[in-house]
Amino acid sequence: MTRHALALAFFAAAAVMPLVIHDAYFLDSLVVILIWGAVSAAWNLAGGYAGQVSLGHSAFFGIGAYAAALLATRFNQSAWIGMLAGAVVATAAGLVIGYLSNRLKGPYFALATIAFSQVLLIIASRWRAFTSGSEGIPVPFRPGFATLGFASKTVWVYLVLALALAIYLAERYLEVSRMGYRLAGVREDEDAAEALGIPTRRLKVAAIALSAALTSVCGTLWAQYVGFVDPFYVFSVDLSVRFALNAIIGGLGSAMGPFVGSLLITTLETYLRATFSGIHGSLIGIYLVIYGALLIVLVRFVPQGVVGWLGARARRLGRHARA
Amino acid sequence: MLELDAVTKRFGGLTAVKEVSLTATPAEIVGIIGPNGAGKTTLFNVISGFLTPETGRVLVDGRDVRGLAPHRVCALGLTRTFQLVKPFGGLSVLDNIMIGALTRQTSVSVARDEARRVAGLCRMEALAESPAGALPIGLRKRLEVARALATRPRLLLLDEVMSGLNPAELAEMLDLLRRLHGDGIGLIVIEHIMAAMMRLAQRIVVLHHGEKIAEGRPEEIARDPRVVDAYLGEEFVLADA
Repeated sequence: MTRHALALAFFAAAAVMPLVIHDAYFLDSLVVILIWGAVSAAWNLAGGYAGQVSLGHSAFFGIGAYAAALLATRFNQSAWIGMLAGAVVATAAGLVIGYLSNRLKGPYFALATIAFSQVLLIIASRWRAFTSGSEGIPVPFRPGFATLGFASKTVWVYLVLALALAIYLAERYLEVSRMGYRLAGVREDEDAAEALGIPTRRLKVAAIALSAALTSVCGTLWAQYVGFVDPFYVFSVDLSVRFALNAIIGGLGSAMGPFVGSLLITTLETYLRATFSGIHGSLIGIYLVIYGALLIVLVRFVPQGVVGWLGARARRLGRHARA
Repeated sequence: MLELDAVTKRFGGLTAVKEVSLTATPAEIVGIIGPNGAGKTTLFNVISGFLTPETGRVLVDGRDVRGLAPHRVCALGLTRTFQLVKPFGGLSVLDNIMIGALTRQTSVSVARDEARRVAGLCRMEALAESPAGALPIGLRKRLEVARALATRPRLLLLDEVMSGLNPAELAEMLDLLRRLHGDGIGLIVIEHIMAAMMRLAQRIVVLHHGEKIAEGRPEEIARDPRVVDAYLGEEFVLADA
């Protein structure tokens, strides 16, 4: 019940805000919060629901971003085609990474995913003839729905909100489905799940491939929104860590967790950066120290994630109310 | 339905299971006993598909299942439990059992009903909503059996589900296992302690250093000099039986 209420409040607020507030900076923050929330929710399918923690999800994000940019600039295709192509390539890459998850456990799997994203970074930044190398690719802005080009930030809010909501609802459905319960078994104990007749390898691969495809779709939208694809950004470890962090802070394996995590972390980062750089020139970089310290505090005292913590608080309050 | 034909499993230079042959059917309770390191759990790992034997055959209904993934062995009707229990600690007792039921059942709501029924059979209905990770060891062992039972096995492979239980829990477990046997489910029971086994099994197989050194009815086993020898130095008192 709490989780439903939280989701309703979050998504309703996101839907109403563009109607009330027209400030471009604010709307931009909203789009960014929703996109990072959506990617982290996609990451959560592998990292949270299947228990396969990846630190290389920027690989799939970059595939989606590059697919749209390359198809638009080299082959004059619409961004929707790019989105589809990116999702197909990311699914294939996800199958490979999923296969790795059956060979490598825990930290070794995480390291392999980092390596995978860095291989893509090298290809994207060195293959000058096709990808323009380290210069990156500007995504042509062609207004219209068919080309995914919108000047209005309000439209972007609703577009990204629709994607975020779709991923959220899909995960809520997953949680109460046969596959969701069996994935929970795989996450809790692979050997026990296998002994109980669950095809653990196939399920993990499926979860990782789906996670990769959705991450790629987010990458396409992001490229269309920002209008530029920089290989050192889209394939960065920083970005992969951000995807994982949002979900871990918000709540691993909880559909709402990544969105709450994204809201907290993106807002905190933006606020700290705005407050501690620029005006106080001597304190440039101090925001990272504060940011890091706050993350440590959060992980130390709310290890189950914000959503899990809120749920436990609500249950305790409910008991008090009945008592 | 299960037939092991001269199965050998080696780990490097160590032969954990050496040319062991045995059969089991849903009609009986087979006990496997032996001192620590006799190869009992390795034998279960071989039967359930977690390990592939070097030589010999593992036949289920006449079909060789060597190399089959454990979930496929389960699908054939053989479900094993783990000596070091592996509950899905973050999930409720009912969800644990339901995940077992979902192996034969595609509908979540039907599987949940089935899990309730199995929980009742195992006298765990009052604990249905408790987190499995919070259960004491005796109840964890029972959950291990309940969850395996929910997969509707024809043959249950139980790895030391009676060790570590207090006398009341032990009596309850024995009662449960006898009821399952009465329902036509075959049991292969590994136990370190002979006393409980003597009261339960119709046929006992004794492993020592990976080899089968004796097989027979409990009273025959208790008198077998090779068995007494194998247990020398261990803290077993066969007279307990």
